[in-house]
Amino acid sequence: MKYLLTVCALALAAPAHAQWTGGDGAPTSPLPCDGSTVTPEAVAYDGGAVANEGSKAGKPLRVVDIPKLIGIGYFDSSARGVAKGAEALGNVTVTTDGPTQANIDDQITLIDNYITSGVDGILFAANDPVAIAPVLRKALAAGINVVGYDSDAEPDARQWFVNPAEFNGVAKSLIDQLAEGIGPDGSFAIVTSTFTTPNQARWISEMEAYQQACYPEMTWLETVEAQEDNILSFNQATTLINKYGEDLNGIVGMTSVATPAAAEAVTQAGLCGETTVIGLATPNAMKPYVASDCVKSAVLWDTGAMGAAAVMALRAAADGTLKPGDTSFDAGDLGTLQIAHGSQILLGAPTVFTSANINDFDF
Amino acid sequence: MLKRHGHETVLAGLVVIALVVMSFQSAQFLTTGNMLNQGRLMAEVALVALAMTFVIVSGGIDLSVGSTMGLCAILTGVLWQNMGLPLGVVLAIIPLIGLICGLFNGFLIIRVGMPPLIATLGTLALYRGLAEGISQARSVRGYPEWFAAIGQGSILGLPTQIWILGIALIVAGVILGLTRWGRTVQAIGYSEPAAHFAGLPVNGAKYAVYAVSGLAASLAAILFVSRVSTTRSDMGTGLELDVITAVVLGGTSIFGGRGTIIGTALGLILVQVLKNGLSLAGVRGDGTLVLIGVVLVLTLVAGAFMENRVRR
Amino acid sequence: MIGSTTLPPSGTGAVRRFLREYGHEILVALAIFALLVGVGLYNPRFVSARNLTTIFSGNAYIAVAAIGMTMVIVIREIDLSVGALIGVLATISGTLAVSGAPIWVAWTVPIVAGAAINAISGILVAYARIPSIVVTLGMMAILQGGLITATGGTWISNLPPEYLLAKMTVFGLPMPLVWAIVLTILAGLWMRLSPFGRSLYLIGGNAEAARAVGIEVPRRIVAVFMIHGAFAGLATLLFATQLQVIQSTTPPNLELIVITSAVIGGVSILGGTGTVFGSSLAAVLFATIGSALIFVNVSAYWLRAFIGTLILLTVMADMLRRKRTMKGA
Repeated sequence: MKYLLTVCALALAAPAHAQWTGGDGAPTSPLPCDGSTVTPEAVAYDGGAVANEGSKAGKPLRVVDIPKLIGIGYFDSSARGVAKGAEALGNVTVTTDGPTQANIDDQITLIDNYITSGVDGILFAANDPVAIAPVLRKALAAGINVVGYDSDAEPDARQWFVNPAEFNGVAKSLIDQLAEGIGPDGSFAIVTSTFTTPNQARWISEMEAYQQACYPEMTWLETVEAQEDNILSFNQATTLINKYGEDLNGIVGMTSVATPAAAEAVTQAGLCGETTVIGLATPNAMKPYVASDCVKSAVLWDTGAMGAAAVMALRAAADGTLKPGDTSFDAGDLGTLQIAHGSQILLGAPTVFTSANINDFDF
Repeated sequence: MLKRHGHETVLAGLVVIALVVMSFQSAQFLTTGNMLNQGRLMAEVALVALAMTFVIVSGGIDLSVGSTMGLCAILTGVLWQNMGLPLGVVLAIIPLIGLICGLFNGFLIIRVGMPPLIATLGTLALYRGLAEGISQARSVRGYPEWFAAIGQGSILGLPTQIWILGIALIVAGVILGLTRWGRTVQAIGYSEPAAHFAGLPVNGAKYAVYAVSGLAASLAAILFVSRVSTTRSDMGTGLELDVITAVVLGGTSIFGGRGTIIGTALGLILVQVLKNGLSLAGVRGDGTLVLIGVVLVLTLVAGAFMENRVRR
Repeated sequence: MIGSTTLPPSGTGAVRRFLREYGHEILVALAIFALLVGVGLYNPRFVSARNLTTIFSGNAYIAVAAIGMTMVIVIREIDLSVGALIGVLATISGTLAVSGAPIWVAWTVPIVAGAAINAISGILVAYARIPSIVVTLGMMAILQGGLITATGGTWISNLPPEYLLAKMTVFGLPMPLVWAIVLTILAGLWMRLSPFGRSLYLIGGNAEAARAVGIEVPRRIVAVFMIHGAFAGLATLLFATQLQVIQSTTPPNLELIVITSAVIGGVSILGGTGTVFGSSLAAVLFATIGSALIFVNVSAYWLRAFIGTLILLTVMADMLRRKRTMKGA
C-alpha cells in the first residue's frame, strides 16, 4: 500500500497549469499590427568562415543534403528543390540523406560520416541549433562549405542560412488570417508536433506575442501535441472540438501534418464554415478542403525554392561570389533575394494559399 | 569451442568481413581518425549496453534507459541553470539520480513483483514524462568550455570517450566473467528459484543490476550533453532499441543466463562499422536500417545453426 | 478451485465464477466507467455522443491490433514490429486503392500480406528458436527502413471514397466500432472454446506439457504469428481509411501502445493468461484516458508522466488483486 501511495503522491505533485502554449519562452519581436514594414537593423556578417576559402571556386562540388528527417512530404519536396537547383547549376552533384526519425544524435553522426567521406559541401536543416553546431564547425574547419535551410544552427557554425520565412512574419500571417475567420475576440486552440521542436516552439511564442499585442481580446484555449502523425493529429483536433463545442472558433495547425488533419476533423464534425482552420500546410494536402470551401487559406513557403536557393548559395559561397557583407543574393530563376540579420538569405513573405491560387501549386 | 561460443565466433568473423569490405568501399573508412571518431560517437550506446548485458543476463530487461538518459540530461541543465548549483556539484548529483531511477525499477520488479518488461515500460513513459514536465520542453544551453571538454576533448591523443569506454569494458568484463558476483547474476538468469535455494543474494544482485543500468544511463547523459552542449527532454529517445540490438546481437540470451561482455562489444562494433561504413560508401540511412535488421536476424540464425539449436 | 468455504453458498456460484475468471476485465471496465462518469460530471461534453464516437471508433484499430498481440503474448512471445507492419500494410493497401485495383483487393491484400510477413517471423521464432523480441526487433528495422526506401515519403492521396471503410456505418454505428466489437467477441470465443484456442494457454503456461499431450508447438507458434499478422491487416483497414490521405511513415510508438493495451488488459507477459476482452477494454481505457487528459486540463507537458504513472498503478492494482485472490483461495 505504501508504494501505491507514493505513486499517487507523485501523480498529484505534477502541477496543473492554467495555460500552456508550447512556446519556447525566448524573447519575441512581434511585427506591428497595421502591416507597416520594419527595415531590419543592419547586422554585420555573423556566419562562420570556411578553411581554405576560395580553393573550390569553379570546381565541381560533391554536396550532401541532410534534412531533419527523411520520409516526410515536406523534406521530400525540399530535396527535390535541392536536386533541381543542382541540376540547373550543372557542376554540383547532390545526394539527400537523413535520419529516419527527427533525432539529433543520428543527424550529428550522419554529418560526421559525410565529413570523413570528404564531401565539398553540406546543406542541413537542424534538429537542434546548438547540438548540431560542433559538428558543423568541424566541417567548416575541414574546408567544407556549409549552408543551412529551414531550421538554423548557431550562426558561426555555418556560412549562410536560407530563411524560408521569418518567425514573426509567419506568426503575423497566421494570426491575421485567424482573426479574419474568428474575429478579433474569437477563441482558438493549437495543434503542434512536439513542444521540443524548435521551429514550432518559436512560431508559437511569436504568435502569442503578436496576438497579445494586436488582438488582445482573443482567447488562446490550449495547445496539444500530435507528433508528426496524421491520425493522432486528427484525434487531437476532434477532441478539442468535442471539448469546447461552440466555444472553439478556430484551430491552428503548426505542421504540414496537423493542418490537413484538423481540416478533416472539422469536416467530419460537420462544422465547416463555423470552425475556422488555418495553419502551415502544403497546397496539395489542402486542395480538397479549400475546394469544399471548408478551409479559406493555408500558409507555407515554396519548399522547392528553399532547397534550390540553399544549393545555389552553397555554390556561390564556394565560388566567392557570395561573401560576407553582401546585402542581396542573385538566385537565378528565384530572383534577387535579400540578406538580413547578418547571414540569413530571406526567401520572402510566405505564400498564402487560397481558392484563387492553390491550384497553381503542386507540392 | 564452436558449440559453446558459436555465436561469438560468427560475430567476430562478421566484424572482420565487414571491416574488409568497408575498407574497399571507401578509402576514408580504415583511417585512425575515423576509427577514433567512431569510438566517440558510439560511447553513449556502448556504456548503456555494457550495463544492459548484466540486466539481460540476469533474466530481466530495462526499457527505461533512454528515458532515464533524457531525465538525467534535463536535470543537468535544470539543476545548473535554474537552481543555480555549480556545474561540478551537478555532475556529482546526476549519477545519483540515475541510480535512483534504476533502484526504482528494481523496486517495482523485486519488491512489487512486476515483470521487468512491464515495469520498465511504465517507467519509460514516467521518466520521459518527468523530463518533459520538469523542463517544460525548454532546452538549456550555454555550458562552459571545461564541461564541453568531457564530450569533445581528448586525453593523450585519444577521445575522452575511448578512455571511459575502455575502463568500463574491462571492469564489466572482469565482473561478469571472473567474479562470484558475475556468476550470481548468471545463475539468477538460468533459474531464479534455483539461485534462491543455493543461498545466493538474489534480490541484492537484481537491485544492483538495475541500479547500474540507471547509473550507466546517467553517465551516458553527461557524455551526451557535453558532446552536443545542450539539453533537451527528448534526448535518448529510442536508445533502448539500439542498446538491446547490440546486446542480443552479441549473443546474450534474452531469457537470461547466457551472455558475455566480449559478445556485446563485438555486437556494438559490428553495428557501428555497418552504420559508418555504409554511410561512407554512400548508402542512405533507410538502407542501412534495413541491413542492420537483416544482419541481426541472420547472425542469430547462423548462431543457432552452429549450436545445433534448430528444429528440423 | 471451484467454490470456496469463505463465500456464502447460494445460486450465485456462476456469477462468482464469472467474477473470479474475468476479475481483471471487470476492473478495467469499471475504470472506464469511472472515468466516463467522473470526467463527464466535470465537463458533460466528454460523454457527448460525438466524443464517445471519437474515443471508441477513432481508436478501434488499436483494439483490433491488440487482439492478435494478445494471442502472441499468451503463447509467451512478443511482437515489436506490429507498428511498422501496419505502416507498410497501409501503404500497400492505399497504393492498390489509388492504382485502380478493385476495392475488395485493396481490402484483402493487407490481411493476406500481414499473415505472410508475420509467417517469416513465426518460422524464425518456432524453428530457428530465435527469441521473438529479437526477431521482431530486426523485422521492425527492415520494415521501417524498407518503407521509406520504397515511398520516399510521398503521401497517398485521392483515395476513392468507396475505399474509406472507417467512414462507413452499420445500423448507424461507425464501422470501426462494429468491427472491433465483432472481432473481439469472435476471437474471445475462439480462444475460449476451440481446441486450438485453448491450446494456446497451455503452450504459454507450460510448453513441455503442451508437447506431452501431442500439440505441435512450433506449428502453432507460426500459426499464431500469422493470425496476428492478419489482425494487423484488419487493423490497417480501419487505421488507413479514417482520413483522405495515407501517411507513408510508420506510426510512431504504435507497437508500444498495442503491447501496453494487451498487457494492461490482463495478459501476463509471462504467458498463459489473458483474454482479448481485456485487451480490447484496455485499448478503450487508453483512448478514454488520452481524451480525458485533454478535457480535465492536465498540462500537456506532464501528460506522459501521467500515462506512465497510470500504467504502473494499473499493474500494481492488478497484482494486489491477484495476491488477495490467491490468499483467499
